[in-house]
Amino acid sequence: MAVVAQEVAAIHRRPQRTTSWWLYAVGKAVVGAIFIVASLFPLLWLVIAGFKSKTEVISTPFQFFPEVWKWENYAQILGDPTFLLTMGWTFLGAVLFTVLSLTVNSLAAYAFARLDFRFKRTLWTIVITTMFIPGMTILLTSFIVVTDLGMLDSLAVLVIPGAATAAMIFFIRQFYLSIPSSLEEAAMLDGCGRLRIFFFLFLPLSKPPFVVMGITAFLAYWNSYVWPILTITSPDKFVVQQFLATFRTGRGSSELGLLMAGSVLAAAPVIILFLIFQRQIIGNIKMAGLK
Amino acid sequence: MTVTHPTMTETEALVVPDARNARRRHRRYLYRDGKIAYWLLLPAVVLLGIFVIWPALYAAYLSFHDWSFYKAPEFVGWRNYTNVLTDPLFWAAIGRGFVFVAMTVPPMLLLAFGFSSLVVAVARRFAGALKVSIYLPTIISTVITSIIFVVIYDYSGGLLNAFLGLFGIDPVAWLGDPKWALLAIAIPAIWLGMGLTSLIMVAAMIDIPTEYYEAAAMEGANWWQKTFFITIPQMKNIILYLLVTGFVAAIQQLDLPLVMTQGGPLDSTTLPNLFIFNHFTNDVNVGYSIAAALLLFVVLGTVSALIFRFVNSERLVD
Repeated sequence: MAVVAQEVAAIHRRPQRTTSWWLYAVGKAVVGAIFIVASLFPLLWLVIAGFKSKTEVISTPFQFFPEVWKWENYAQILGDPTFLLTMGWTFLGAVLFTVLSLTVNSLAAYAFARLDFRFKRTLWTIVITTMFIPGMTILLTSFIVVTDLGMLDSLAVLVIPGAATAAMIFFIRQFYLSIPSSLEEAAMLDGCGRLRIFFFLFLPLSKPPFVVMGITAFLAYWNSYVWPILTITSPDKFVVQQFLATFRTGRGSSELGLLMAGSVLAAAPVIILFLIFQRQIIGNIKMAGLK
Repeated sequence: MTVTHPTMTETEALVVPDARNARRRHRRYLYRDGKIAYWLLLPAVVLLGIFVIWPALYAAYLSFHDWSFYKAPEFVGWRNYTNVLTDPLFWAAIGRGFVFVAMTVPPMLLLAFGFSSLVVAVARRFAGALKVSIYLPTIISTVITSIIFVVIYDYSGGLLNAFLGLFGIDPVAWLGDPKWALLAIAIPAIWLGMGLTSLIMVAAMIDIPTEYYEAAAMEGANWWQKTFFITIPQMKNIILYLLVTGFVAAIQQLDLPLVMTQGGPLDSTTLPNLFIFNHFTNDVNVGYSIAAALLLFVVLGTVSALIFRFVNSERLVD
């Protein structure tokens, strides 16, 4: 027994650097490098293409790097007022959407997690049921609804309809359920009402779910394409994905370098956001995926 | 007193001798947050009601009607449904959806399994870099992904054909050839979906108690034996979960074929949702599209509800 324990301890203390250990280590490094390259290469390719002239992106014979690294594409797309306006408009919409959905969903999540009221189970069942309705099923009738409400071709049609989601209510509620109730009881003894408890106790503690859900909402808005192409028709109200898709079939079909540079700039905000919050996002994957 | 109302506190029982009164009081106690709760729920419930529940009920209603934007709905019974179910194009789209699932989900799960086996076996910093890299594509939009891959797939000047040319392989019109187009869309779908699948798997694999592996190592088990007798059995529920959610997500793929091929060539990339979407934008008879979308809902909604119940029943933990 003691011998075995010693052996185990020895294995833990210092891996034996034999030939097979080195082979194993190199193998892991190579496979890891393949995964990293496969994930990042398409993005790298986009960035490289953003520096190419319009004939170089797709050229015969094939050319990996541009002849001359052209910053002109970026200068030109940034000089395009429509592009800048679209980026700004989408950013504004995404911020409004994020704020609205965090507000609406966290209030509901708090009520479901902590308050007692009549029809709680029934309401909860209804809310959860909406999670299983595929987007396609209600896409057509949602379109009819927003048409009837006169919301077409406005910022409201992008921001309001998707703001309340069962998934987000569920996620935030799950977090609130994990907050020990002893904290609240103490606050209640001090005479705090339910609302006060929410604003002064729950909200300050909500940073982790708010970061994850806020980014999810921002991404959903920034990357949305199908809903905007149905509901937004004036080019000056386009969102950024819609702008890119239209640009691709229009002017960008001949000026590919420009299209690539525009795509890089359109992806930049979400990539920066991800890199800032990557620890929180990745740390919460399990929570998001399985709870 | 306390026996008939076991949930009531003793002091309340003493104050209220009448049983009916007590019950009322008890209920008032249970629902004491009523007013404020409804105010807090109001915005979310109103939004869900107008933009999710009402459209769903309205879709169910319209699916039994002959209706277009230009005329009043006329009741037609099950006709829209029979039209959909007897339409060979609909079944072809469903079949294509299954092929697409087969092209994306199993490879994604295998790759993700390999990825997480690697992540748990390497140093912390390298594992961190791997996780960030694999997740990065997840946040890229389908439109930008399409733009990137269309350029890579280009027949005469694209990277892929140039690369294959190095090995003497003739160029292929990846998006122009009905034989290859669906596969050409499956690759970016895997690229976009790998991040979440992999990281869920990593999280599950880290949760397996290390004692199992230590015991196996003492018995002299190799990597394959550990994988087949410890890792896979321990993760079978997560794998099942990812399989089902992957299926539901893949069969609903809409954006990639919409942007990359618009369903062509020769309908070879018209996946079920794109089939419905195209019908909706081209066909004045909305009832057909709605009936098709509802059929999809019945099947997929049931599947997701079942997996949700399963996940919430904690059986995942075993």
